[in-house]
Amino acid sequence: MLAVPEMPNAALAATASAAEQKPLIELAHVGVTFQTKRGDPVVAVDDFNLTINKEEIFSLCGPSGCGKSTVVRMLAGLLKPTSGDIWIGGGARARGFSEVAIVFQRPTLLPWSSVINNVLYPVRVLRRVTAADRTRAMELLDLVGLADMAESMPNELSGGMQQRAAIARSLILDPKILLMDEPFGALDALTREDLQLDLLDIHASTRKTILLVTHSISEAVLLSDRVAVMSARPGRLQDLIDIDIAKPRSHETAAVPAFLDYSKRIRDDIFGPRAKREITR
Amino acid sequence: MTATQRRIVLPLVAFILFLALWQIASWVFAIPVYLMPSPLEIVRGGARLGPALFSNTLETLTTILIGFALSCLVGIPLGVLVSVNRLTSEAIYPLIVFLNAIPIVAIAPILVVVFGTDMTARLIIVTLIAFFPIMVATATGILDTPEEMLDLARVAGASPLAEIITVRLPHAVTFIFGGLRIGVTVAVVGAVVAEFVNANKGLGFLVTSSTAQFAIPTAMACVVMLAIISVLLYEGINLLHRMVFPWSIRRVAGH
Ligand SMILES: Nc1ncnc2c1ncn2[C@@H]1O[C@H](COP(=O)(O)OP(=O)(O)OP(=O)(O)O)[C@@H](O)[C@H]1O
Ligand SMILES: [Mg+2]
Repeated sequence: MLAVPEMPNAALAATASAAEQKPLIELAHVGVTFQTKRGDPVVAVDDFNLTINKEEIFSLCGPSGCGKSTVVRMLAGLLKPTSGDIWIGGGARARGFSEVAIVFQRPTLLPWSSVINNVLYPVRVLRRVTAADRTRAMELLDLVGLADMAESMPNELSGGMQQRAAIARSLILDPKILLMDEPFGALDALTREDLQLDLLDIHASTRKTILLVTHSISEAVLLSDRVAVMSARPGRLQDLIDIDIAKPRSHETAAVPAFLDYSKRIRDDIFGPRAKREITR
Repeated sequence: MTATQRRIVLPLVAFILFLALWQIASWVFAIPVYLMPSPLEIVRGGARLGPALFSNTLETLTTILIGFALSCLVGIPLGVLVSVNRLTSEAIYPLIVFLNAIPIVAIAPILVVVFGTDMTARLIIVTLIAFFPIMVATATGILDTPEEMLDLARVAGASPLAEIITVRLPHAVTFIFGGLRIGVTVAVVGAVVAEFVNANKGLGFLVTSSTAQFAIPTAMACVVMLAIISVLLYEGINLLHRMVFPWSIRRVAGH
């Protein structure tokens, strides 16, 4: 992938407050076209420009099928863009989870490995597991509140606990970038709120650069430094919003007037046309 | 009685009842021995063989076990080969299907001519018949691996080989054991067929030689021995599965 010298204009304009921050990821004019079996190509993402800065939590919002997962998969290296460039900074490219780590919607733990061995899986793929790795895995399990479940098997854990383990796994190699594709989407509301705060804590202590895909507008506002709203197919950047709410945040943040304003703006971005349609009816 | 005890006792009672009925029927209807020997006659037929029964059982068991081991050594890697790579799959799958389509009973005498009457021909016959279910089960399991697990492996930087070892094969374990269960029963059949056509020992040989002398109870005793081997091996595979890969046992209602 080629380095892109200038930042895309759309991204520049909306990141005024983040101007002093260093970009870590840039997508410039990225397009993805899928070749379907029936022959007609599907343009999933079109002329997509985005800059994600170091150490920020950046959320990607948008209607179902707008290409959020496609963007995540490109950054994870699972998919090559059909056109455009993706640039990831931060020095030399590392391997595996030490460069980009991922948390999926489902925990995706390996059912044949204990929780701690699941956390160590990204290490095991790259090299021998050392005592230091085990210590770190235990620290991470402690961080997500699973220290006493280290030797359990995944099927002995609840869905929320499994997702916590998946988050611990994503941090084991201290990744440059953490990708989360609707990480709390499959969880019940209470577990979800719990994990959202955990993520804020983790971010406060690790300063990871996090790209979070979410369907929940309140989740995006609560967790993010910036939120990008994507338009429906073909996926384009529709709006980019700085969430200027003081940290640390908690669920009380949801009552702050600014929180409601941001939520409304995102909701209007996504549902705008339909709201009008309903009024005329 | 606990559920476990019931699972053992109930079939045992049924089996004993079945034997008793059979025995009574052969007394009442005076069924001739050459038509259908009674359980007691079968036991006597076995006893007439004496220690030969066990030495021949051991002979057959050796053929089955070595042949089955070879089937695993051939079937599992082939299953991986035909499922992970399109090229290898297209190249060798038709060949394997063709191999499997050959009726083993028909080819067995030819193999004996080619390889002689030692164990080699018998092992080839067992392997030819038992590797296929193992291969198919392995391939099915490899292909069944959830896409998300593969994504995880790839993002973690796994090479195609590491992907197979760390994700695909472990996921396939349940499937492979399904194949092993079928494979081991088929291996018993293969060993008997092999001994029919070429052997001077083994249970299959005893069956043919006894029937040739109209010693039906003796032949039946050998058949019973084969059935016992088959059941024990089947349960042995189950036990191995449960002990070595407990996580892969699907929880079925009532178990
Ligand atoms: N492998 C594929 N082949 C063909 N089309 C695909 C493929 N993957 C995705 N698409 C299409 O690309 C578009 C974007 O998909 P993507 O999964 O990125 O959406 P998404 O924003 O993550 O949706 P959701 O919120 O429902 O998860 C969809 O219209 C989908 O049909
Ligand atoms: Mg998605």
